[in-house]
Amino acid sequence: MRFHTFVLKNVLRRRVRSSLTVVGMAVAVGAVVALVGISRGFERSFLAIYQRQKVDLIIQQRGVKQKLTSVLDAKLGDQIAKVQGVKTVNSGLVDFTSMDELGPVGVLVQGWEANSPLMTELNIVAGRHLDASDKNSVLLGERLATSLEKKAGDTINIFDNETYTIRGVFKGTTVYENGSMVVLISDLQRFMGRPDQVSGFTVVVDRPDDKAEIERIRHEIEAFGKNLEVTPTTEFVNSTTEILFIRAMAWLTSAIALVIGTVGMLNTMVMSVFERTREIGILRAIGWGRWRVVRMILMESILLSIVGGIVGTAGAVLLIHILSNQPAASGMIDSYVAPGVIAQGFIIALCVGLLGAAYPAYRGAQLLPTEALRHE
Amino acid sequence: MNRHDRDRDPFLFRTEQLCKLYPDGQVHAVEDVNISIRRGEYVAIMGPSGSGKSTLLNLLGALDRPTSGDVYFDGEPLSRVKNVDRMRSQTLGFVFQSFYLLPILTAIENVQVPMFEGPLSTSARIARAKELLDLVGLSHRINHMPQKLSVGERQRVAIARSLANEPIALLADEPTGNLDSVAAEGIFELFAHLHRKQGMTIVLITHDEEFGHRAQRTIRMQDGHIKSDMFTERKKIRTPLPPFAV
Repeated sequence: MRFHTFVLKNVLRRRVRSSLTVVGMAVAVGAVVALVGISRGFERSFLAIYQRQKVDLIIQQRGVKQKLTSVLDAKLGDQIAKVQGVKTVNSGLVDFTSMDELGPVGVLVQGWEANSPLMTELNIVAGRHLDASDKNSVLLGERLATSLEKKAGDTINIFDNETYTIRGVFKGTTVYENGSMVVLISDLQRFMGRPDQVSGFTVVVDRPDDKAEIERIRHEIEAFGKNLEVTPTTEFVNSTTEILFIRAMAWLTSAIALVIGTVGMLNTMVMSVFERTREIGILRAIGWGRWRVVRMILMESILLSIVGGIVGTAGAVLLIHILSNQPAASGMIDSYVAPGVIAQGFIIALCVGLLGAAYPAYRGAQLLPTEALRHE
Repeated sequence: MNRHDRDRDPFLFRTEQLCKLYPDGQVHAVEDVNISIRRGEYVAIMGPSGSGKSTLLNLLGALDRPTSGDVYFDGEPLSRVKNVDRMRSQTLGFVFQSFYLLPILTAIENVQVPMFEGPLSTSARIARAKELLDLVGLSHRINHMPQKLSVGERQRVAIARSLANEPIALLADEPTGNLDSVAAEGIFELFAHLHRKQGMTIVLITHDEEFGHRAQRTIRMQDGHIKSDMFTERKKIRTPLPPFAV
């Protein structure tokens, strides 16, 4: 029998103890991967909404850091379009609405012009785009359509029980888009009681790589009114309240998950080694040196941590997948877990598993054999 | 020149004013004990429970540290031995009342466990484990798990394991305490065989007067002190052979 065979047998033949340790590690790793994965996915999806639009400048009401509360005159769009170097201007209105079918979860509603590239470039998977004559019509994101069990051609009641016809279903690039709906901006203005008002504009310039040119256009647009705030997209993405809030939440959730997971893993491993103090005494009494004992325990803990990591990660990915498809999630959870998050879970499992095993193993090995043998 | 051939202290074990005080009870488990045990001697330590027998045996075997005094092993004080683990691994074998076999390993695997500290290759370890199990009469049970063996057989496996690294001495703490009389008889025959044929130094604790008298020498303890130290064998202590000499 080789030493590593002995270590392997120790793990495989003590099924109950090994299983309990693996389960303990898996739960902790799973919690970390699931919570960090969900929070990172939340952040990533939110950022992608802005990044996908490939716009160069975002125009909102000055001092307002939230799209929802920004109010601008829709006619400003014509003025902005005339600025030299501006390629296209898109106006948009944003709101949240609730639906009986989805309970208290709000659904993002985007109001766009029918001829806006935002509208025409939507990836329609069923039905068609909205055109200017489509009053009381709506496009549903794929996930929202699934949650509502609706398809193109059906009708739904939104905005205080108004009946809207579903003209098409689109596949967005992010989980939020897939959980949202799009209507003509005129319909949303009417519902919100904001005629001729928009939340903001997005601007695409002729020469997006020319930073000086973008700065010139920015200043020129800002000169149209003191209430205008023109921000390059990247700057906007990093300063908007939603993004800052999402990032703070993601960080907080990840930190809590890491603390809980780490404590869980430490507890599992420490307890599983502490209860072996007597066995350590036997091995020491029959001739094993301290470091061989420590080596055996560390090798076992690496093995258990790896298995725990695999089980926990697989469980977390499955859990996120199941949760993201629940109606209650309503497109709020992205089922994609980044490889980095999985790697992070594994590394934490290995490090914490080793750390958790090292202390009691070292402590046990430092005891005199008689002290370890007396341990209950 | 190895450790068996060189000129050595005539005593394998010697203690000087050996004391062990357990801090919790403030009781001297062993107090001012001075004994000497020659190579090849077969010594039984007897006495009532709590008299300090096991503490003395643990101190002799470096499983425990004295509060004061010292144990000399092969002329060298244990307090000055740099690597007590290695010394214990390579020169002493232990047998316990509760066997302390690893329940997840077969008989042959249990016997190999101490050999990880030695120089043997994997195949040599297996061969030696088989040889030892044959010596204790268990060549037909090598692949049995401890729980599938009788208590007597388990103790035989434990004895085979204690011999794994060719120790100079065997220390046994009530090795027959959990065995019936037939099994106990077999174990004492095995000890007698190891002593007689291989010149093994044996120090064992027993409550059984009959088995105690089979040893060459009986040390009786009471309240941590040596009460008596008697040679029970008429003949002189013979010159020991090196362990496992053919």
